[in-house]
Formats: sequence, structure tokens, C-alpha cells
Amino acid sequence: MFVPIALRQARRDRQLVSKRLLLTEDEEQREVTMDTASGQQDLVDLLCKVQHSGPERGTHLKALSKALRDPSEQLTFIKQENSVNLLVSLLTGSNAQCRLHAARCLHELSHSPHTNVAPACLPATPYLLTFLSGQSTKFTELCLYTLGNLFPDSDVVKDKLLAQGIIPALANCIENQKHNLAVVEAAAFSLTQLLQAKDAAEKIIPKVLASSLPSQLLSVLNPDPNFGLAPAIECAWCLHYLACSDGNGELLALGALSHCSSLLMSLGGAVAEGNKEEGMELLVCPLLRCVGNLVSCCPVDSLSTQVGDVRLVAALCAFIKAYLHTQPALARESAWVLNNLTAHSTDFCSALLTLNLVPGLIQLLPFSQGINTMILRVLANVTHKKKESCLQLAQLGLLSTLCATLKMADQEMVTLSLEILFMLVIGRPQVADEFVRLSGVSLLEAIQYNSEGEMRRRAAYLLEHHLLSHSADCTV
Amino acid sequence: MTASGNCPTGTTEERELPFSFTPQLFHLHKDHEVFEDGDIHRHMYLQDLYVSGADDEPALSVSEFACHISGCSAVFSALEEYEHHYNSLHRHVCCSCRRSLPSARLLDIHIQEWHDSLFTVLAQRQDMYQCLVEGCGQKFRTSKHRKDHLIRIHKYPPDFRFDKTKKDRGTREAKRPQQKDTAMEVADDVCESEGVCEVMCDVLSEQRELGETMETLVEEEAARMTKPAATMEHTDLSAAFDGNGCTSSETFKTQYSYRVPTTVCFGHSSVRGFRGRRGRRK
Repeated sequence: MFVPIALRQARRDRQLVSKRLLLTEDEEQREVTMDTASGQQDLVDLLCKVQHSGPERGTHLKALSKALRDPSEQLTFIKQENSVNLLVSLLTGSNAQCRLHAARCLHELSHSPHTNVAPACLPATPYLLTFLSGQSTKFTELCLYTLGNLFPDSDVVKDKLLAQGIIPALANCIENQKHNLAVVEAAAFSLTQLLQAKDAAEKIIPKVLASSLPSQLLSVLNPDPNFGLAPAIECAWCLHYLACSDGNGELLALGALSHCSSLLMSLGGAVAEGNKEEGMELLVCPLLRCVGNLVSCCPVDSLSTQVGDVRLVAALCAFIKAYLHTQPALARESAWVLNNLTAHSTDFCSALLTLNLVPGLIQLLPFSQGINTMILRVLANVTHKKKESCLQLAQLGLLSTLCATLKMADQEMVTLSLEILFMLVIGRPQVADEFVRLSGVSLLEAIQYNSEGEMRRRAAYLLEHHLLSHSADCTV
Repeated sequence: MTASGNCPTGTTEERELPFSFTPQLFHLHKDHEVFEDGDIHRHMYLQDLYVSGADDEPALSVSEFACHISGCSAVFSALEEYEHHYNSLHRHVCCSCRRSLPSARLLDIHIQEWHDSLFTVLAQRQDMYQCLVEGCGQKFRTSKHRKDHLIRIHKYPPDFRFDKTKKDRGTREAKRPQQKDTAMEVADDVCESEGVCEVMCDVLSEQRELGETMETLVEEEAARMTKPAATMEHTDLSAAFDGNGCTSSETFKTQYSYRVPTTVCFGHSSVRGFRGRRGRRK
């Protein structure tokens, strides 16, 4: 998939911030033809017209909101004296249609790429927050996206919004409108904006965890077939940002791990059947991350209650297979989760064997991009925890694959392969014989002469203690 | 195989087992490199957002219809417009003074502070003025204390429109000229004519003295927009519904008959007195 370089650079600079623009339906029909020719004079003119009350005010305000789509007009607008106050007065005025258009204007401003626009919108924030507890859903949605867009732009805005109670306001909004999924989606989007702040771990996440938000987010996770995945996607991202930080105890207590893993299982079932609904990966991704991170913090004795069904591993293998070529990063994240599960408990290792998933994993070892190291770790986990299955693993083709991975340039791959080989052959001469028969000895010798110290030591040890004695009997 | 004889050079001296694999759990931080591509896809999705929203103009054209709330003469051409209008202006209305508030909570607070005599009594002895910020939960002895708290702790503007109290009325007269200086002239005009929310604040405090109500304000404005035909239709409708008995000086008002006493409310949460069930739309 094509990935814009600018986004990647922003991600590396830890400055990846997105804003959402809620388009109006008439724009959807007209392919958004922006009249960029309208100059500065027009905007000022329009602003003057909006200042005068009259029957045409709504129309002018609507035209103003359209003009504010243009980033340079946004700057012109905020430079006009009292322009934002005028919007605020219309936002809180007695004409419902004007309220909506004023909110629309603020929304366009909030979408600005210029960082000085958001602070200029500050006079509106207490009202935008107040309207979150209102009942007009389209209006609430607009307020939510506007707040979500304003939040990341500057510390001043961020601190004000936190002081003005954006967290309880969002909690209350989701609580009151939980049946209105468009509003839930908008609220969860705003929350992701909060949770991505650089200092979220100190200032925001503890407050969110202390609120009713985590349990509300979990309750929205099950996608509504009629509405689509979007609200669940936003909620899952919120949970991911929470699970990345230290909030795992709280999330585990709420059953987040069992929620996320059972949803992943049903999505995995759909993917395995070849049903790749558009955008499903946008939900799979944050859910994988939640499960991966929550498993890593889950006490071993409660893992079986949290992830009740070991068939989760089958779902993960289905994701790896389905996304290997289209979205390798997602396949790698699935492999990471599989590693955490198998590293944690023998039950999941057994499940890989009983569900006959090992051959599929072995086939993945030639692929790069970090997938093969994770898969090799998974196989090492199984070898480590299921000593009695080593023979079975060897028979499933692991030995011949190790012959390939031992030749790889990636040192981690070679080291892990040596570790697995050691676990397989120790105390099992028949496995050692098989490896020798596959001409494995020469591979180890090559490592012994060409590679770095640690790998050399391992190769030499294997040759000396486990292989050479057999090689004499076998090969000659 | 041939080279195998040379193998034990230096390696066997180290008796320690060179193998150390133990299963490892990885907890990945938000900014971990493994998450890079997934994050980028996520943001590509966000930035391409395409949602149908706000105006539903061409959807399904119905003939224009009027707001059924008595005294309101707004006219709509789409159901959505009406829904937004109703939810914004008529959902949370105080039945004593007909002020409209933006949320059930603010309406509750308004009713207590303006119309509940028990509140007035209790307020003399304990902290009764709730903070307006959802989730704050603090209470204050006077509205002035609350206002200070809102400004200091929650960074609210000093002129927050939904924080106007009865007692403010006297002092506001002194404040207003000053506000006028700073505000744009036209912006101020907005305040005068748009009143509903501010009905409970700036505008009404002055205009109510003249015996006007919110409905008049709405109407004044709506009347300007309304086409004659629609007005007629509306008049018929609201004649049957009129439960306001407004004592308006507006001439427009006189078209209505007042058959129903003021205390009677029509429709789902058209007006509300003391706390009842919250109206939910969906």
C-alpha cells in the first residue's frame, strides 16, 4: 500500500496529528468545487453581511463557512476584529439554523493547518463543550469534531480544554448518546486526539481511566452491522492508546482483554472465510495492539479467564495470512500478539499444534520485515514450552526451514535458529541425525567461521556436543 | 564435514552453556517502531474522511412546515432542520420563565436557582450553587463564588452566557456599557436580537423588564423570515396549541388565542418544570 512520505516523517518526529473534516452532504454531491478565486475582500464583505441581522443572515453565514475552507481565508478571518466573538454570539443565539452554520464555520477553522487559528477559537470552547450535553445530534457531532481538531494544535488550547472539563464532557456525551453511533464515533475521535498528546501519560490518561470512559468504550466495541465499523474503530484506538500506557490494570479489571480478544476472534473468523470487508483492517489493527499489550501485563493465572478461547491463535494466523502481502505491518503486529500469547502460556502453544497451525507459520519464515523473527520467536516459545512436541515440530518441517534461516543475513534470525536447534536436538539423537542428513553441519561450520562471537560459540557448541558424534555414524 | 576436525578452537574453553532462549513478552510503547505503519494507515484514514453531514437539502422535499411549539413561528423545509431547531431551542425549556437552555443539566440548575424557593432557603445556609462544568461536582455559597471558580479553575470567560442568575440583574446594568465598548457594535446587535439562550442572560434581563418573553424574541426574528402563507398556516396550528399566554406587547402575538392555561404543557418535553425524566430522542 502506498504510504505518504510526509506522514512517515511526521510519525518519526512524533508529530503525526490528523484532523477530521466533516463534509456536508451537498459537497458530497458536487464533488467539492472550491472557489479559490474569492479574494480577501469577499471574506471581509461576507463578514460584514453576517454582522447584520436579517433574513439573509443564515445564507451569508453558510457562505462564510464555505469560504473558511480555504486556509488563507482562515487567517484573514481570525485577523478581523471580533470575528470569533461574532461566531460565538451566533453559536449561542436564538436561531437554530444560524447556530448550526456558526458551528460549521468554527469547524472549518478548527481544520486549519495554521497553528495560530486554534487559539483564536478559544472563546468558543466553553460553548462547544456545553452543547455536548444537548440533544441535537448533528450539531453535537459537529462540536465534537471541532473540539477534536482544536485540541492538538497548541498547549494553550489543550490546557484550557482540560480545565474546562473536556474529559467528563466526553464521558457524559457518550453515556447520553450511546445509541447514536455517529455521535459516539465523533466523541471517541475527540478522545483519541486527547490520548495522543505528548504528555497524555501524565495529564490525560489517569483522568480518562478514572472516568466512566473505558467501560463505555468497551461497550461500543461490538460493531453494529447496520452502521459499519467506524465507531468501533475509534473506540478501539482509544483503548490502544490507553493500553500502551500504564493503565492496563484498570483495563484488565474491566474485562478489556476478553472483549478485544473475542471481537478479534470473530473478525478472524470472517477473514479466514475470505470476507474482507472494506476497512476491517482499520479495526483489526488497534484491537491487536490492545490484546498484545494487555496480554503482556496480564498475570499468568488470570490469562485463561481473560482470553477464554485458545482459538484466538487461529484468528491471528488468519490475519497474518490475509494481510501478509497487502499490509505486512499488520501481519507483523499479529505475529507479535502471537508471540506474547505463546510466551505467556503453554495452552496457546498447545493450541498451535492441535489446530495444526504450525505448518502455516513455518511457511512464513522466508518473509522479511520483522515478520520472520516474530514467527521464529513463536516457534521458539513452542519448542521451549512443549518439549515433548519437539519431535513433532521437526517432523512438521521445522528442521529443513531452520536450514534456510541459518543462512540468512539477519543475525537475530540466525541466533534464534541456533537456539531452536539446540532445544530440538538436546536429548533427541534422532532429531540431530535428521539435521545432519539435511546437510546442516556445513551450515553450522560456515557460521562458526564467518560470524560474530556469540553465534560462533553457539554453532561450535552444537557441533561439538550434539552433531559431530552423529555425523560420523550417519553420513559416511 | 572435512573441516570439522578444526572446529574446537577456543570455543570449548568456555564451559558455560551458550544458549539462553527464554520466551519474552513485549509491551510496546505508543511510539514503537512496530506500530509505525499501522499508525500511518490510521492517519491516512482520518485525513481522507468523507462523511455526509449537516445539510440535507436535496434529500426529500416536503412542503414547508412550521414549528409546533406555540409562539414559535420558525418554518422548515426538511425534517432534520426541524429536529435541530427543536432540540436546540425547545427541548430544555423552563416552564416558569420559558427560557431555553442547552442541556438538561443546565436547565435543572436554572430551575433550582431561579424558581425553587427551597433552594433559596437552603442556599442561605449551605453551598448550593453547582459548578456548571460537567463532572466537577463542586458547590458554592453564591453564584459569584461559582463564577470566580469557573473563571479561575475552568478558564471560562467572565461573560459565560449560560451563567446568569437572577441576582445578576441589578449589577448588569452597570456592566453593560462597558461590554458595549469592547464588543463590536454589530456583535452586540446579535445579542439583542438573538436571544434564546441568552434569554436567560443579557438580553432578557433588560427586555424582560418590558414584559417580553423568549417566544417574542424568537418570533420577532422568525416573523421576518416567514412567508405570509406559512404564517397563516402556522397561526392555525399554534392557535390550537397555544399554551403560553404570553404577555407580549408584540402585535404579532395578538393573533393567537389563549384557550389553554399557562400551566399546561404540550408535547414531549416541550417545557419542563422540576426535574422529571430526561427526554431522549433515540
